[in-house]
Amino acid sequence: MYLVGDIFVSEILKKPVLDRAGEEIGKIKDFLIKTGEIFPWISSILITSKKMGPALIPWEDINLFNRRIISVKNLATEIIRQEVSDDDLLICRDILDKQIVDIDGVKVVRVNDIKLEEIENNLCLIAIDVGLNGILRRLSIEQGAKGLWKLFGYTLTSKLISWDYLQSLEPKLTKLTLKVSRKKISELHPADIAHIISQIPLKEKTVLFDSLDPEMAAEALHELEPETQANIIEGMDKEQATDILERMPPDEAADVLGDLPEAKAQELLNLMEEEEAEDVQELLEHDDDTAGGLMTTEYLGFTPDMTVEEAFTNLRLMLPDVELIYYIYIIDDDEHLLGVLSLKDLIMSNPQKNIAEIMRTKIKTVTPETDQMEVAELISKYNLYAVPVVDKEKKLLGIVTIDDIVDLVLPPSSRKKRQRA
Amino acid sequence: MKILGKLKRRKLLLFLSILGPGIIAANAGNDAGGIATYSIAGAHEGYKLLWLLFLITLVLAVVQEMSARMGVVTGKGLADLIRERFGVKVTILTMILLLFGNLTVTVSEFAGIAASLELFGVSRYISIPLSAILIWALVVKGSYRVVERVMLFFCLIYVSYIISGFLAKPPWLHVMTQLVTPNFRYDSKFITLFIAVIGTTITPWMQFYLQSAVADKGIKGENYNYARLDVYVGSFITDFIAFFIIVAAAATLYVNHVDINSASDAALALKPLAGKYCSILFAIGLLNASILSALILPLTTAYALSEAFGWESGIDKKFKEAPQFLSFYTIFIIIGALFILLPNLDLILIMLFAQTINGILLPIILIIMLILINDKSIMGEHVNTRFLNIVTGGMAGVLIILTILLIASTFFPDLF
Repeated sequence: MYLVGDIFVSEILKKPVLDRAGEEIGKIKDFLIKTGEIFPWISSILITSKKMGPALIPWEDINLFNRRIISVKNLATEIIRQEVSDDDLLICRDILDKQIVDIDGVKVVRVNDIKLEEIENNLCLIAIDVGLNGILRRLSIEQGAKGLWKLFGYTLTSKLISWDYLQSLEPKLTKLTLKVSRKKISELHPADIAHIISQIPLKEKTVLFDSLDPEMAAEALHELEPETQANIIEGMDKEQATDILERMPPDEAADVLGDLPEAKAQELLNLMEEEEAEDVQELLEHDDDTAGGLMTTEYLGFTPDMTVEEAFTNLRLMLPDVELIYYIYIIDDDEHLLGVLSLKDLIMSNPQKNIAEIMRTKIKTVTPETDQMEVAELISKYNLYAVPVVDKEKKLLGIVTIDDIVDLVLPPSSRKKRQRA
Repeated sequence: MKILGKLKRRKLLLFLSILGPGIIAANAGNDAGGIATYSIAGAHEGYKLLWLLFLITLVLAVVQEMSARMGVVTGKGLADLIRERFGVKVTILTMILLLFGNLTVTVSEFAGIAASLELFGVSRYISIPLSAILIWALVVKGSYRVVERVMLFFCLIYVSYIISGFLAKPPWLHVMTQLVTPNFRYDSKFITLFIAVIGTTITPWMQFYLQSAVADKGIKGENYNYARLDVYVGSFITDFIAFFIIVAAAATLYVNHVDINSASDAALALKPLAGKYCSILFAIGLLNASILSALILPLTTAYALSEAFGWESGIDKKFKEAPQFLSFYTIFIIIGALFILLPNLDLILIMLFAQTINGILLPIILIIMLILINDKSIMGEHVNTRFLNIVTGGMAGVLIILTILLIASTFFPDLF
């Protein structure tokens, strides 16, 4: 079979089918499918011509199959008229435009298009397109609309649902049912998505990631094995990959990039927004098993001239972007570490006081080169949530949090369980 | 005997529980534009167009019955079936036409609310926001049952037209003979009015609304006979009301040669001719009809769009459960109401626009309905009989020719 990449059903419908001698034998009308282990696959192609009426061409008889040319191995005269039965499953008749409902029967969306891909010599249905892209493609105005969107500075991202998410097909179906509830599709915990992703073959992992919004994809990616992370990012188109990387915390993004081939990592870094890229670049320079390799550059840093009250106001403003408050670090204009405050310190203090007056100045710090086990011991010994990483001039570079340490000290098997169970 | 009485009562109760969609859809056809058309028909031509009501009732009943049947058999709305049977291209085309058609009709309904309340001295800057909020809250906060009952109550208020028809003191004997005497005159004014009266009674959005409402209500196949009765009763009541509107206008305005251009004109002109109460009842009728349709048109649009794109829909749903459905409903009301508050709004132009778009859409919808209702894989054994196909096919043909003529005559007024 000579299939080029992936293909959407709407792109090849009504295309002429040629015989061995180059004569047109009919136009593609539909596809007969059989349900497989994971993905349904096309068993024959239904063509129709004015002269002959409908005919079924078995997939084995197809010679060429791509967006431009579809041809068969036989001669036109060898093709015989054949009707499909009501019990067959057909893509256009039975799946395209049908209602998709979630596991509770709530209507979600309709099937706008279907994505096909070659897997082990079979043409498989790997995902359904439920986005605006699919509709535009059906109207044959996808390219034009994309260009128009670009003029306004937007990109149309496709919305695909992997076949994996759908319950099995039955003949005479009137709707497709999802395995999860509608709410869950958007509210699915990133760890759950990661779980689903780790179960399916690599090719479809990328497809599934395409269907997630970048925010969700970023969180789900973080939950995966390092090797899988790298594979997925490599399989994705560059713009989307950088989009996801930018949304990951810098230390996690650095981890992912660290596992990629150097050239690829550099290419993605160059595509990322400058500020984010710099953070990640800094982290990449450290060895994996040192404090520098573990640390994140996201921390709360306040200047010493603030009052406690002002600090609270600032905290409230920043809170939406911060996952957990470990400590508040007090730094001067050149990022030199002056002191540290816990939330408790802040709450217990007089709102009018300057934070410089109440901050603790005896701080346990590590350098980027400190071995990770040493960092773990320090955190354990002093019951810390996080430890600051500083350079020789006491400039604050980042923090290593207790989360990073837990992953480190737990035996590897239990970490895997967390991602696969 | 007692058992029989019990059985009959149970059947009556069952009918009452199913009654609704057919009556509401048909009555909504007597909207602000419809009342204006009937008033003008009565004022310009007297009783000469009355006979047409027989024909309209028949066509209305036959077309609406098909919608109701499709809704009961498939449990889906018309837009659902269009998308599944005809694909994206046809769906997008009909949805765009329906969207713009319904939007302009919605504007005209809000114009009806504003005009009728201005007759009572209420400024549109008060009446429009208030009615828009009421209409919005009813569907967003209410359940299907509550909304349907409110709409049925609105249908009851149409009685005001019957009373105003009596108050106008028409010569009943003459009216009845005219009712059964076919009149026709070959001049442009008469033909335009002739087509307009038909066009205002059978609209694309009524078919969408009826089928969606039947599906949303979840009427089962075994109760189909009651649903059909609901449609027939609705068609009859609708034209019964139309009859009194024409009679009221003919007995007063036509006899005294008063020229009018809108329904509120008619209400105003009735005051010196038929008395204060007749005028007030006429205005109340207009307000009631406008509110009912200002409720149904956004609802229809929201139903149709949700069906076409597969989003959850239904009056019982909360915003969280059916976000697209209720958002479209909300946006439609806001736009419809805002248009009326614009200064220098050309209402005549909007009406013409609505008429043209609905005129283009109606033939498409009728043909689509005929294809769908004859598709065995959709309707099973409930496809049209051959007799019904000949009747509906013929009616569709006539309606299509008439709407094309209507559109042509709006652009080339000297056509006839």
